[in-house]
Amino acid sequence: MTELKKLLLGLMLLGAVTYFGGGGTWASFSAETSNGGNGISSGTLTMSDQINTGGLCLTTNAASANNVNPACGAALTLTNVAPGIAASTAKITIQNTGSIDASKFAVWASSTNATLNAAITSGNSVTSLTVSGLEGTVASGDTIVLSYGANTQTFLATAVATPPATTISVQASPPGPATANANYPIGATVTDTTSDTNSGSTAANNTDCYDRQTTSPGTVGATKGTDLNFNPILGNPFCARALLFVQETTGGLNYCWYGSGSPIDPIAPAVGEAVSGLCAIPIIGVTTSGVLTFPGNITSIPITPTTLNGSVSAGDQIVVTSGAHTETFTAGAAANFLIGSTGVTSIPVTSQAVTTPTFPAGSTVVDLTAANAMNSDTTSTLANFDTAHHSTGPIQLPPVTASGTANATASVQLAHNASRTFLVGLYMPAPSGINQNFLQGLVSTFGITWHIDQ
Amino acid sequence: MKKVLASLLVLGGLSFLTAGGTFALLNSEESNPGASIASGTLTFSNVVNAGTACFSYGGPASPGNVNNTCQALFVATTQNYPNVQATAQVKIANNGSLDASDLSVYMPSCTNTVTPGAPTPGGGNPCAAGGAQLYLQETDSSFAATKCWFPAGPTTCTFAANALSVFATNFATSAGALDLGSGPAHAQTRYFVVGMELPSTASNTLQGQAAQFGLTWHLTN
Repeated sequence: MTELKKLLLGLMLLGAVTYFGGGGTWASFSAETSNGGNGISSGTLTMSDQINTGGLCLTTNAASANNVNPACGAALTLTNVAPGIAASTAKITIQNTGSIDASKFAVWASSTNATLNAAITSGNSVTSLTVSGLEGTVASGDTIVLSYGANTQTFLATAVATPPATTISVQASPPGPATANANYPIGATVTDTTSDTNSGSTAANNTDCYDRQTTSPGTVGATKGTDLNFNPILGNPFCARALLFVQETTGGLNYCWYGSGSPIDPIAPAVGEAVSGLCAIPIIGVTTSGVLTFPGNITSIPITPTTLNGSVSAGDQIVVTSGAHTETFTAGAAANFLIGSTGVTSIPVTSQAVTTPTFPAGSTVVDLTAANAMNSDTTSTLANFDTAHHSTGPIQLPPVTASGTANATASVQLAHNASRTFLVGLYMPAPSGINQNFLQGLVSTFGITWHIDQ
Repeated sequence: MKKVLASLLVLGGLSFLTAGGTFALLNSEESNPGASIASGTLTFSNVVNAGTACFSYGGPASPGNVNNTCQALFVATTQNYPNVQATAQVKIANNGSLDASDLSVYMPSCTNTVTPGAPTPGGGNPCAAGGAQLYLQETDSSFAATKCWFPAGPTTCTFAANALSVFATNFATSAGALDLGSGPAHAQTRYFVVGMELPSTASNTLQGQAAQFGLTWHLTN
């Protein structure tokens, strides 16, 4: 290469470097990589609710499109109930169907609620909400929250609405003419957030649980509630008397979250069930499957499994009756004889001789201790559940680690894909010496809400 | 530039998700509305002879389900003579939805009065010993005897001395009522015949005297 060519080449390189290096600067070597395809995706926190062996009720397809499904099935529908008959139960299984663990899991009494039955258009004046399925009484002045998807609007009720009302008269909150702030289609949730609180006006009449006189007889041709003149519904007297219990049975471990024997709202005197994790649910109408022979030494009472309907705690008095003959035994161990406990064929008792003539098969068996506890319980009522455990007083449900023991400090209360099982039951008590005719022909209706948080 | 902007977006996102202050958590909720418990009813009717049904819930609202105005079994104006029976048929029909676990009967009072229109009452007391006699007979629907409840005996009742006095004394309250056993079940009826008689040995002091009494029937479930 000639010197000239070298010079020119060098000038070209210099120019090139100058060109790529910016004004007045030399171009440095550079290199580059890219991290493409980034994304951030959220997990899901959803749940399902199953009653007994029924279908799953999901939050993902709720009509209100806000991961809240207020319309899963009714847990129980009991008719023609008499004081002191055996409690009835339903099994409710709650599963976290999302991908994220729930740090909090709670149950509480539903507020007075309904669903919107006529759509509301954004910008339109709103003077009333057309609803269906009103459960509970709306008092004038109550705060009514309308919710659909990400939209909510708060109103104030301007008049009382009692079931089966289909209209709730409203104004804006604070008081004034109301204009819809978004579209609310049919199915939007309507919640009276003032209900179920002791500060609500006439609290006993402003709860989700409400009473009505029955309009259909319990048996064909019989008298019904509306035939009677001694069963007023003012103050929801049946809600104030009927007992509710929520018994967890997940994985065979028992915990009484609400009811006679629950450590949440303990009753006095205390019952043994609090130790065993069982709610006091008396076995009533259970029958013996074998003979208790006089004077025999009895260590267990054989029972007919299909008649099981309660729980027994160690130390409970178990009364066996045949005609005019009765014998009282002492339960030797705790046992849960509720739904699903088939295969239990006897109640262990502390050894005792039979002092009365032989009891034949078919003799009746009653857990007198549990029966007395429930019959005198005025705490575990539907009404108290409403006022003590609504959304601002939830019953937290930490995981049960042993029967009667829950881990209150657990960081996860319902892991993703995990499920927990509860028996929800009702019992009409038979307090000794108290005339309960005022409860004849009444029906109490109420709801239960299950909630998980991330 | 785009890379710089993307980085700022990520930083902003992290700040949003992790910085102090409040932020929305995920939650989910379901309700089981409409659970219900409906109580049954325990009511009954009382029919005397061929009369009309008198219902337990036909009384005042308080105390409720108590009706003290049902038809009398025997009328004081009907004059009776020694050894002449008077009977009344009573039908107790459970028209509630619940079975009765027990039926009982009691006599809240027995009062000695003068027979209406009697010119010369004798001054005796038919409610007392030596006075009127009473029996309570259970029957089938054709009023054929099935069990004698008072005075306790075999199937068919017979009169016994002082029976009205004994009944009034021993079964005067609800707590001390004569227990008639279980039932009737819902939609079922129990049939009774109540018999009254002045004994053949009745003293003349019982002339022109009347026993006024009531029978109260009580169902429990």
